[in-house]
Formats: sequence, structure tokens, C-alpha cells
Amino acid sequence: MPKREDIKSILVIGSGPIVIGQACEFDYSGAQACKVLKADGYRVILVNSNPATIMTDPGLADRTYVEPITAGFIKSVIEKERPDALLPTLGGQTGLNAAVELARQGVLDEYGVEMIGCDLAAIERGEDRKLFNDAMAEIGVETARSGYAHSLEEALCIVDDLGYPVVLRPSFTLGGAGGGIAHNREEFISIVTNGLELSPAHEVLVEESIEGWKEYEMEVMRDKAGNGIIICSIENFDPMGVHTGDSITVAPAQTLSDVEYQRMRVASLAVLEKIGVETGGSNVQFAVNPETGRMIIIEMNPRVSRSSALASKATGFPIAKFAAKLAVGYTLDEVMNDITKATPAAFEPSIDYCVVKVPRFAFEKFAGTDDTLTTRMKAVGEIMAIGRTFEESLGKAMRSLENGRAGLGADGVVLEGANDPQELEARIARPTADRIFYLAEGFRQGWSVEQAFQATKIDRFFLGRIADMVRVQENLRGMKLEQLDADALRLCKRYGMSDIQIAHLTGSTESMVRLCRKILHVVPAFKTVDTCAAEFPSSTAYHYKTYDADESEVAPKTRKRAMILGAGPNRIGQGIEFDYCCVHASYALADAGFETIMVNCNPETVSTDYDTSDKLYFEPLTFEDVMDIVDVEDPDGVVVTLGGQTPLKLAKALKEAGVHIMGTSPEAIDLAEDRDLFAAILDELHITYPAAGMAASYEQAVNVSKRIGFPLLVRPSYVLGGRGMAIVYNEGQLQKYMAEATKVSPDRPVYLDRFLEGAVELDLDALCDGTDVYVGGIMEHIEMAGIHSGDSACCTPPFAMSEANCESLRDIARKLAMRLGVVGLLNIQFAVKDQIIYVIEANPRASRTVPFVSKATGVPLAKVAARIMAGEKLADLKLPADDRHFEHFSVKEAVLPFGRFPGSDTILGPEMKSTGEVMGIASNFPAAFAKTQLAIDSSLPQEGTVFISVCDRDKRSFVPIARDLDRLGFHVVATAGTAKALIANGIDCEVVQKIHEGEPNILERIAAGEVTLIVNTPFGDRTRSDGYAIRSAAVRHGVCNQTTLAGAQALVAGIEVARRRGLQVVALQDLPQWEG
Amino acid sequence: MSKLSEQLLVGTSKPRPKPAYLVLEDGAAFAGTACGAPGEAFGEICFNTALEGYLEVITDPSYAGQIITMTYPQIGNYGVCVEDLQSREPALRGLVVRDLCTQPSNYRSDMSLPNYLKEHGIVAMEGVDTRALVRHVRDHGAQRAIISTLDTNVENLLLKVRDSASLVGQNLIPSVSRQMREAHPLSAEFAGFLEKPAATAHRVVAYDCGAKRAILDNLVRVGCEVVVVPWNTPAEDVLAQNPDGVFLSNGPGDPDAVQGTYSQVVKLLGKVPVFGICLGHQMICKACGADIEKLKFGHRGGNQPVMNLRTGRVEISVQNHGFGLVWPSLGPLIPNLSGGQTTHQQDLRYWVEHRVAPVVNNPVFGRIQLTHVNLNDGTPEGIALLDIPAFSVQYHPEAAPGSTDSHYLFTAFARLMEGREDYLDIDIAADRLAGWTFGTEADHA
Repeated sequence: MPKREDIKSILVIGSGPIVIGQACEFDYSGAQACKVLKADGYRVILVNSNPATIMTDPGLADRTYVEPITAGFIKSVIEKERPDALLPTLGGQTGLNAAVELARQGVLDEYGVEMIGCDLAAIERGEDRKLFNDAMAEIGVETARSGYAHSLEEALCIVDDLGYPVVLRPSFTLGGAGGGIAHNREEFISIVTNGLELSPAHEVLVEESIEGWKEYEMEVMRDKAGNGIIICSIENFDPMGVHTGDSITVAPAQTLSDVEYQRMRVASLAVLEKIGVETGGSNVQFAVNPETGRMIIIEMNPRVSRSSALASKATGFPIAKFAAKLAVGYTLDEVMNDITKATPAAFEPSIDYCVVKVPRFAFEKFAGTDDTLTTRMKAVGEIMAIGRTFEESLGKAMRSLENGRAGLGADGVVLEGANDPQELEARIARPTADRIFYLAEGFRQGWSVEQAFQATKIDRFFLGRIADMVRVQENLRGMKLEQLDADALRLCKRYGMSDIQIAHLTGSTESMVRLCRKILHVVPAFKTVDTCAAEFPSSTAYHYKTYDADESEVAPKTRKRAMILGAGPNRIGQGIEFDYCCVHASYALADAGFETIMVNCNPETVSTDYDTSDKLYFEPLTFEDVMDIVDVEDPDGVVVTLGGQTPLKLAKALKEAGVHIMGTSPEAIDLAEDRDLFAAILDELHITYPAAGMAASYEQAVNVSKRIGFPLLVRPSYVLGGRGMAIVYNEGQLQKYMAEATKVSPDRPVYLDRFLEGAVELDLDALCDGTDVYVGGIMEHIEMAGIHSGDSACCTPPFAMSEANCESLRDIARKLAMRLGVVGLLNIQFAVKDQIIYVIEANPRASRTVPFVSKATGVPLAKVAARIMAGEKLADLKLPADDRHFEHFSVKEAVLPFGRFPGSDTILGPEMKSTGEVMGIASNFPAAFAKTQLAIDSSLPQEGTVFISVCDRDKRSFVPIARDLDRLGFHVVATAGTAKALIANGIDCEVVQKIHEGEPNILERIAAGEVTLIVNTPFGDRTRSDGYAIRSAAVRHGVCNQTTLAGAQALVAGIEVARRRGLQVVALQDLPQWEG
Repeated sequence: MSKLSEQLLVGTSKPRPKPAYLVLEDGAAFAGTACGAPGEAFGEICFNTALEGYLEVITDPSYAGQIITMTYPQIGNYGVCVEDLQSREPALRGLVVRDLCTQPSNYRSDMSLPNYLKEHGIVAMEGVDTRALVRHVRDHGAQRAIISTLDTNVENLLLKVRDSASLVGQNLIPSVSRQMREAHPLSAEFAGFLEKPAATAHRVVAYDCGAKRAILDNLVRVGCEVVVVPWNTPAEDVLAQNPDGVFLSNGPGDPDAVQGTYSQVVKLLGKVPVFGICLGHQMICKACGADIEKLKFGHRGGNQPVMNLRTGRVEISVQNHGFGLVWPSLGPLIPNLSGGQTTHQQDLRYWVEHRVAPVVNNPVFGRIQLTHVNLNDGTPEGIALLDIPAFSVQYHPEAAPGSTDSHYLFTAFARLMEGREDYLDIDIAADRLAGWTFGTEADHA
């Protein structure tokens, strides 16, 4: 059946900001969908509040609304654009929930919008456990025994029947938030109570525990003719009990016999049909009892998901793209396999390699939280590795994580507690981010596979493979590199060892190992991901490296090649923004006539779509792996400045190996990163910067503090996202910091800067071609200095900074860019205090704000940067004037994951903690800011109680804000000190006790749901225990919480503007766009 | 393997590797290590793309005379489950894999695959870049090969392989067919996976050209009492048993060489309902006087799309054949039954696009309909005789291993024997769960 002609325009809902459990995989799927629908002639209307996405590029859809994903805003978009259809299955849970709400509110009926792909009834059957379980019972597929509870009492009744342990799942929460396993009554009560609060439906499912069972996922597609196919099976390395997003997973399924696999296959297809997924992709999860084979269905998602993105990358079968095509009426036999371009999409991919996905965590950012992996997802990113065997893939995966490891152990990293047998056992038994390293250590120390199985319930197959890997490592240990012959080296490689590991085990160096390998011709081959296990020729250059090296499949060079190094796994401080930049560079370099080569290992991204670049290498971003690709591709240039810190740190070594680095030279990068060199340049250019020093010991640090004075901003050298960064107010804190700062040495000193308390911070992104400098945008931060720029909200154009100051900033940027020798992008952070402009730092690379600025100004900075790197000149590009006036304000606000990390403090500081961002666009700053709050919390506090507790510094400044709140009809509640200041200024307010003053206090009011807004600003070194408890309660109960005066001010202004004038939706296409 | 490599493998699951070689007749050579029985074996090299189900492949009698390489690199992970075997003895000549698992993991596993291979004298090797091998076979065609753990001299091996017998024109069936008539009771129960068989309603005689166990079991499961007879049993003997239907099985080798079977099929067609699978399909085609050709690329795997032209539904099919029907050779098109077309189309995907199941006029048996077409290469995959009760498919509805989408064809055979006109018109989705059970823990115990 060909595509539907009765539909002309389609509304696509994105997934909003990157949060844990919902990351850039939905940009990948959404971007694919928009592209393919547009190519098919449909008018595509998109709503997504996340500016750092490719899908919100104005060229991808016909109408792009960077607006909050709420029923209200989408309704406004529908009103304006009148789409014929809504495709709800590509924007994750957020998109699906929004679509459900629109349907339930009758908005879709009112405007005659048809939901395609999946209807409301199907979504409800898939999401509502009761309906789901009934549906499964009808087709005879077993679900875990369970019951629903709407109160603790009900829950206790159910658990009496089931017995412990039980799994608890709050209904309708994202990524399983609030869920957990209870092994006893105490745990049970705690999780149920929390879960009832978190669930929008105030409902918790109590379920028999299948902890320790094997876990599988099936990625399924179906068309409206009823044809169903399995794209990929995935087997979890970690057994049931660890959220699949937090598990190491392997594709294809490794330990299922055919009859077991086929049973799962037919069940998956039958489930899709029963739930009523008319067309598209779904994932179905199963648990299998390893002793009896009993199979239970865990859940299904009637939409594309994180695992469908993984499956697409793992097989080369673009699920989201085809889901979009199927939604508009095509059938699988009518869609061509993208990779072979000769066979139809109606087939099940056959793969001839093993794929391993490993999640990336960020527990180090959230001190105080439990790092045990549970049924609630905590990973912030993931990597995927492809090899011919599990061993080869796992080895690759373990060096892809950007966590300082060069593989599965044997790299010189010391494991804490590994020498104590009891502690080792405990660390092997408890699932954590590092468990696999302890597991390897166990084998190193002589653990048997059986012993490891009893401790972990990880399948013996995987354990056996790891035991072999470790055994080969240990057999190599102590041998001399010179001794090794080609056979032996190749064997090490086939068992997944990196050059660094071999060097470590043989007492050599990475470069010697590389040299030896080359002399002995132990070089890898590159094979192709082709969906068909080589049965048919394929025309797509999607490659991976292997030491099955009889034959390599890289096409010979026919034109100039540019290689772009991606950003690796998403983690806090390095997210989708860098992938966005890499993708743009790829497009721009292709336009400039290059054959483009992308290297990355993050399966969630658009950059690792084989469609994005001419060639894709799915490989770790290490020197060894990148150089192996350089050896076969012979690129004319390599781009390292767009993928964040990951490729940047390779720049020097690559250059030394003779690789041409495109754009800013590694020397120039060094000039900006080396504090002394950079300070000298600033002095030379007469640019002011905060007094600073460097210390390798506490004594040195004290001397620095005497020279420049407290407060001080302290941080380790060479870090991203403010890792380990803190503000210290006195010697006591400084001593504590120096004692705790790990790995401080003369090579790795600690930096100390004078902290400019109360300064206004600004970010600036600029382009330089060596001749001219173009300032892409200036962003004024809303929070005062001291909050990491990635966590603070900002506005462009600046909402309060004078034009004269802005001109000074541009002037400094021009001087600095030229002096540093930037060719490409430059980001500068400024602080302005008492009318003095300080340069805090400059980074001659793409910054986190590039996508935001590009969307806000209509000039795609990363694309232009790539063109500059390819030799074009700014003068020829005819960019709009960089001091032009804008009719609109754009605000970026950070999205924080505190809800996922109970126990960690929610206070913002110099260490970055946010996972993503949203954007709001409006004709004035408060309205734009209000939109960002709506995009994060879906509602603005409108009435009710506001609780205020501000520090002494803020008491005077807060009075006008409190007055506004009072006027807006909020009931003001404050702690004694704050209340005194408010009452003195004629603001009615109720006094509540501080927490340490006893009960009743504010916590009960928060728990009772009375409080709709909290303003709590900490300051200086005061003990923060009260504030901590309040902020934790706010996170737990989902109360809007402002921790800075500036934020509160912006919010209150936003509430007022929204109330007075309403918030209008704006399409990017209606704002000025540069057509390069 | 160097001495040093051996040292590196001490204490792993693969200690003491011994060298092995695979040499193709065009001179391509692959080195690896032995992982099955020691020895030397000749055969035609071919590959299979199934991701799991290696045991069903290895024990499929249709692989008689062949050396198989599996495209998935790690084989043997879940060991050998005796229930899954497709024949009493593996018929293949040799196995080539990237990595063979010596420590399998699965609650159903009875032994490791290397031990099974050793026990049954199958020469096997691992450590081979099987993707390179598959690409070589894809580009240079199926050919003779030798696998050896005894002789490490590639030149020698090449001479030997060039001296060996070719598969073309060989009748391998006598080596895999039963010698005596025998009843086939259900051979594997698959408790917890498959339901108990339907009550017996039909008596079926099955020609054994190397029948996979799963085919016979599937017949039993849809309610057939199955009697298996040798491949060359005279039609008269079969008809004398007065069966409700005759089944023609899969089997190895060149169908042109299997006159012993197809000459009998000529006498069976029209007398009794007939259903053929794979070689059985080719036997019906031969009986109708059609030509069979050797395909450029055989179909071997579990993921090929086949469209049922009568329903428009796509089945993910299981395939294992190197020869195929030349559809136009069955007769001229009947235009009013073929969407008005008068001339045969080169590429049968024409019929897919037009959703027409064309019909030819066969000089011997009348109207024959093209029911199934392979969407990858437009080759014919199934036919139905419209004037007499018979139909056949080139692929494997019994799966084992692979997708069970086409299971409905067994139901169709039962319906054919019941005399139903609409016997083939079954919705895959409705049939999907037929026979499967997702039983409770108690059922598994």
C-alpha cells in the first residue's frame, strides 16, 4: 500500500530536554522521522523544547516550535498550524504522554487531528499494567504475579500474598523512577510511600520478584498489513534487578536456543498485535528463569525507545525512519533496506558480529547518593562497541567509556578494596558501575565461573568469556614485548586487549606496542555493518574494527577526506550539544566537497547514524583506535574541536603522529588551556582576569590564598564540567579540599582563582578564520557567578547588560581569538563586577552553548566553523552583523537530575550537574524564562503558598520580589529571619519554624502539598543542613524550587507576564535565519 | 599457532589448540584451529546466516555433502540440546566457525557442541575470519572445499580438493533416507514450549529424502499419523496404503538426480493430496515437467522475506537450497488469471508489486498458481496446483531453526486433506501462536 494521500501535514512531538532515562536517542529517532516525512512530501510540524537537537534545526521540519511539550502549548501549535495527523511514537515517554493528554482533553478531536502509528487505546493498553496484564492473559503470555495498590495498606495486603522480595513500580513514571525491590517490610514501606508520591496516578504495582532471572529485549516492527519482524534481540549481561538502561547489554541474544528464541519471537509479535500497535516499532522485554526456562513478559513500549536506537545502530536497520514511513501507510515490503539498497525492509537483520552496550554513570557528581544499580535508571549515557566476538567487543567497550580505563582491567588502575577478599566479594555481588572491573579482578585472583555466578547470577556464558579474557591477560603479564610473535599479539588483540593494556602487562609503552604490531603486521581489518551478514553486497560504509583480519572492506580513496571525531558517551558536562556540532560539521564538510568520516562510539546520537556522514566508524575515541582508522582512511584533515574534551585531548598525540588537525592548532589549544601562557596573553592584551594561582600542596595553596584572598574558586587542572570544583571561603575549607582532592601532584596541580562573589557572568561564542572574528552571540547568565555555566540559565541577547559592555566583550573576543590563533570556534566566559570585565576562561573549541546560540540567532555556528576549517573566509560568508538588534529573547535553562539521586544535595555550584537544557523564545526576557520553567516542570506556580528563606546577603534585594509574590496572590511563609525583613517592609507573611527548631516545620507543609514555590538561597560557608533538607523535600515532592535570587526574580516576572499577556508560540522559521 | 600463543591460552576454555586448514578449489585458504573430530573432509562450502539454531542446521540432512560455515561468529553458546536434533546423525561434512564454545550455558544443554562433533566424527575448525570466507563464497560461488586437521600443507590440500567429487549431478539422498518404511511418532515433546499434538485425523505417507525431524513432528502436531517411506518407494505401494495425503520432504543435492522420487510423484499427483517442502517442492515441479536451475547464490538462513501472493502477507522464511524452479518452464500464463498479462516476467517481484498470483497452464496437470515469491531476488518460492490437490514451497515452514511465520502451511495441508478449497488462505497473525504454549512453572517441571 502506498503512502496516504489524505494526510498533508504531520505534527511530530519530540522528547524535550535530556534527562536520565530519555536522552539523545530521541533526537536520533525524531530527526530521522522528520527527514523521511519531509522527503515524502509531508508538511512536518515539530514541537521540542530542546535546542541542542538536530531535529530542531530549522531545515529539518517545515515549522519548528522550540516550545514546552505540554498539552497547552501543543494545542496552541495545533491551533496555528492545523496538522492533519499527530505522530506520537517518536518522542519517548514525554511525547507519548503529551499525545495521550491531548487525546484525552479532546484537543485532537476538536481540531480533527488523527493520531497515526498508535492510537490512544493501544498506548493505554501498553502503559496501564492492569489492561496490559489482561491483554497478556488473553493470549496466554505470562506476566509476573502482581497487584495494584493505591495506599500503603493495600500494598501490604498484596505483599502478604506474594511474599518477599517484591518489585515495586509506580505507575506512569519515566525510566522507572521511584521503583525498586523490597526484600523486607521496612524497605517495602519506604519504597511504596515514595512511589505513591511520585506516581501521577498515585498508584504502585507490587509484583513477584524475578530478580536474578535472565533479561531479554526484542525490537519489533509492524506495518498496517500486519507484517511483523524482529529487528534485533538483546540479552542483558546484568540479570533482572538492574534497569535495562543501567545494564550492560549484548546483541544478538547469546544463550537462547532456537526454540526459546522462537517462542520469544512469536510472543513479541503477538503482543504487538494484541496491544494494537498499528504500525511502527516497539520493544518487548522478557525475563527468563535460568533454571526452568519459564518466560515472563515484563513490559512493552508501543513507541521507539532507547533500545530501538541501540538496535538500529547494532543492526544497521533504521527503526525510527521506517516507523515514520509505516505510519503514513507504507508496508515493509515497499520500503527498501537502506544499507543494501537492493532488498526490502521486510526481513530480519542477520548480523555477524557481537554488539556490547555499556552504560556510563556519573555518581561522582552526586556525593551522598547510593551507587547501587537498581530498577530505577541512573545512567547518564552509554557507549556501544562492535567486535567479531563478545571478548573483542567487551574489551573495546571497556575502553570507550571515557572513565580513564584502557580496557577490562590490566591497565594500571588500582581498584579500591580489591585486596580484601570480603570487600572484593561484596563489590562483585553488588551491581554498580564498577562491578565488572571487580569481577575481572575476582577472576584474576582465582575465582571460578561458578563462584562468580553464585555471587552475581550473571550468565555463565558471559562469565566464562570474561574469565578467559582475564586468563590471557595474566598469561601475558611478565612476558616481554620483544618476545611476542605475530600470532601471540594477534591473540591478545582478539581477546580484546588494547595497546595500553599490552604495554602495561609487558612493561612497555603504548607507542612501542603499536610499533611492534606494525612491524609484525598485526594490524586490524575493518568490516561492515550490512544487515545481512555479507549475504548481499552493501553500499553503505558503516565500519567496525576487528582482528579477524583476513580481509578489510574499506573502499579506496577517491577524493579528499575529512574525519570528525565525536564526543563519546554522554555524561554530565559533555552531552548532545557536542554531537550536534559534529553532525553540523559533517554536513558542512560534505558540502565543501569532502568525503566525510565520523568516528564515535555513542549509539544514542545522530552522528552515529550511518546516514549522517559518508563513512561511519563505530569505534572508541582512543589514540589507538583513531590512528588505526587514520591508517586506512588517510584523511586530509581531522576535526577535533567540536566533540568536546574527548577528541580535544587526542589532538596533540594525533598531530605528533603526523595527522593534519583542521582548524585551531593543538598549540593554540594549549595556549588557552595552559594557565600561565593564557595569563601572559591576557596581560599582553591588557585584559583583566581574576587573580589566580596554582598549588600542588596545601602549603602552596595557603600561600596563594594569602596573596589573592578568599573566597577562592578551586579546581583540579584539565577537567570538564567543573569536576571537583568548589568555592572555599576560609583556610579550614581549603585544607579540607586539598586533602580530598585526589591525584594532586606537581603534574596535576590545583588551580585557585579569586572568586568574584555577586558578579554577573556572561558566555560568548565566536568564530575566527585567522583574519576576521565574528561574535555569534553573548549570553547573560541569570544566576550570579559561582554556578557552573552549564547549570545556569542564560539569555541572549543579554537582558540587562549595557550595549557598551557588550561591545567591550566583543572587542575582547576579537583580540583574544586573533592572538590565540583560533581557526573555528571560541568560547569565552566573562564575569562583570563593579563595571569591571574579567575574562574567566577561553576555550578554542565548540562549547555547550553553540546549538542554543545557533537556534537563537539563526546562524549555525558549528556549520560555519567547519567551513572555516575547510578554508572558507568569514568575509565571503555574508553573515549578519554581530551587533544586530533582535526582536526576541532566547533563554536557556538547565535540567537537573536530582530526583534520580536521593541523598545528594540539590544545591547548584561550580561543579556541573545538569543533564540537559531547554529553550524558551519570546518577545521579552521574563516570558522566555517562564517558557523554560514550563518546559521543565510543565506548569508555573500560579497560586498557593510560597516558602521563602533567603540568606542575609539577599534579604534586602528580595523584598521587591516578595512584594510581587504577595501582589500575585501567593500566601507567603518564611523562616524567622526572612520574615522579619518582609514584615518590616509591609509584606504579610506567616512564620514557620526552621527544621532544627523542631516540629511543626516547613517540611510537613511541603509533604502535605501545600507549598507550590520555594525560594531558598544559601550563601557563604554557613552550614547548609536546613537548606539541604528543604531542597531535598522540594525535589521529592516536585515543588518548584529556586536557589538563587536572580532565578526567583526571573520566575516571578515570568509568572506575571504569562498571567497578563499569555505565552505565544513562535516558530523558528519566523525568526531571521541565515541562509548560507 | 605459535608456542607463545599456546602459552597465552593456558588455563582458558581452549587450551592446546591444534592447527586446521580450509582450502577452496579456487585456491583460497583459511587457517584456524581444530575444534571437532580430527581428520580431513571434502564437501561443498556454503554458509548459513541464522543467528541461533546452529544445532538444527548442523543436523539438517539437507546439508549432506556440505561444509557449513555459520555467519554468526560465536557458535555453541548454549550447547547441544538433544531435543533439537533434526536427524539421528549429522549429515554435513564439516563445520567452520569463528569461535566454538566449549563451556555452554543453558538449562536445556546436554553437552557441548565440540564434544558432539567429536562424538559424531565431524571435522570442524574455528578461528577463521568467517566473514571473509562468506564474502569469498558470495563473490566466487559455491565450490568444493577441503577441511583438514591432518595436513597443514596448503598446496597439498588444494590438489586434494581439486581431485574430489563435485556435488552437481550427485544423488546424495540414499545416504540420508530411511531404508525401511517406519511410523514417525512425535520425537520431541518440547514441554513448556509446544502444545500437545492435535488428535489424529489424517494418515500421511512421507517420502524421506532426508527429512528434518521438525517437519515430521509438525505434521504430527497438526493431526497427522505419519508413516515415513524411503525416497524411492513406488507410488503404487504408497497408494496401496490408501493415505489421506502424501508429503515430500526436503533433501540434499541436485534435484535432477532424484528421479527415483519425482518419477513416482508423477503417478501420485491427482490421486491423493500432496504437499512438498524444499526438495519435495522441486519434486512436484519436476513431475510437472519444469526446469530446475542452480541458483547463483543459494538461499541459506532464517531471515528471507517471502510474500504470499494470495494474501499479500510477508513471511520471514527459513531457507536452505541451492537449486530452484524456473517458473516459466511450468507453462504459458493464463492471462485472465494473471492480471491480463500474457508474457512471463523476468523478475517475479512484478507480481508482488501488482499483488497478482499468476497462473500458468501446465500441459500435464493443468492450472498452476505461483503462490509465493522471494522479495530479495524475485525467485519463486511456492506453487499451488489448482486442478488437483497439491501445493509446495521452496522454503521451510517447519523452521528449526528460524522464524515460524510459515507454520500455517502445515495447517493448510491438513485443510487440503479435508478437501477445503480455501486451504491456503490463512492469516499468519491468527496462526502465529498456534501450537505454542507459554506454560507455567509447573508445566516445566
